[in-house]
Amino acid sequence: MPDHPCREKTAPSRLGRRDFLARASAGLAGLIAAALSATGLGYFVSPAFQRREETWVDLRHTGEFKPGSPALVEFTQRKRDAWVTSQRRSSVWIVTPDGKNFKAFDPRCTHLGCPYRWDAAASRFACPCHTAMFGPDGAVLSGPPPRPLDQYAVKIDGDRLLILPMAEKKA
Amino acid sequence: MSVSAWLCERTGIDRVWAALMERRIPEARGWAGLLYTLGSATMLVFLVQTLTGFLLALNYVSAPDHAYDSVRYIDTSVIFGRLVRGLHHWGSSFMVVLSVLHMLRVYFMGSYKYPREATWLAGVGLLLLVLGFSFTGYLLPWDQKAYWATVVGTTIAEQTPVVGPLLGKILRGGDAMGPATLSRFYAFHVLALPALTAGLITVHLFLVIWHGISDPPRRGS
Repeated sequence: MPDHPCREKTAPSRLGRRDFLARASAGLAGLIAAALSATGLGYFVSPAFQRREETWVDLRHTGEFKPGSPALVEFTQRKRDAWVTSQRRSSVWIVTPDGKNFKAFDPRCTHLGCPYRWDAAASRFACPCHTAMFGPDGAVLSGPPPRPLDQYAVKIDGDRLLILPMAEKKA
Repeated sequence: MSVSAWLCERTGIDRVWAALMERRIPEARGWAGLLYTLGSATMLVFLVQTLTGFLLALNYVSAPDHAYDSVRYIDTSVIFGRLVRGLHHWGSSFMVVLSVLHMLRVYFMGSYKYPREATWLAGVGLLLLVLGFSFTGYLLPWDQKAYWATVVGTTIAEQTPVVGPLLGKILRGGDAMGPATLSRFYAFHVLALPALTAGLITVHLFLVIWHGISDPPRRGS
């Protein structure tokens, strides 16, 4: 037995002034604590509700691409991640069959990430690392790649070609 | 047996609670009674500063390259970011105002007298810590006001006879304001000062409870 028996709480039959004030204070304190906690919780979980920023890159005039002959275009991408803005030099393969529809391919082979090139004679993409071949539509023709070339989203604004350089992986 | 009874039997929490919360409080009417709340008010604001300070530190970078941008990020992109930063900003002013008012109450009511001198000394230490928080925290947004206020502050320290130039260099972490200044002010603001303050608050509160609250002065006594 402990030497200080814990008191049994007995609810008062009638709510007196003292108890009323004690409860009112506790209630107010709880209200303040709840307001603060809600604010803090919202702040803390805020990353879960942030949308990823889409930064479209303006490449060049659509008329500059010749149908049937893919072009490797270099571009600079400005990316904002939280409070850090960074610049990245990168490139993209632009393919157009007719000058109206465009496809943008990530310049790395989907096998092990080697930069591939356009084989004009055979009219297909060739990767020098493991002799992989891709068609002008990005499909695997031969070799070890597990999936077609990764594509970037493309849109045309007036007569400018814009890409969103984030790979949409195709299984 | 209820959970609270189980816990109570093993921790004696009811007696601790009684010692902390069910103390004799001197009878004081009207404004005089309100003045007795200033110490608790200061401590409540300190708790708010601790909470909001932790939240701000989640996104703040104490480097000249990113400090200003990270503060702007809190203001513009974080949910309740402006509110949390606002609470910390205004809370810092309230800390100074409330602790000075609390000190004036203790002074004019003579509550610092025997046997409470140690409580007073701990309180003076706490006031200095609060001013330390203000001085170091003011630099962190790394905007024009912050930068030049700290230039002025550290230059004042430099006017100390003999050791002044040395003090200035130590405060700034070098000859001029720069990355070293910002990161050392941040280290003091979020590590050293909070730890010291928490310790001194414990001492201060223990002494308040140990001696009991002093009665308001009465005519003729």
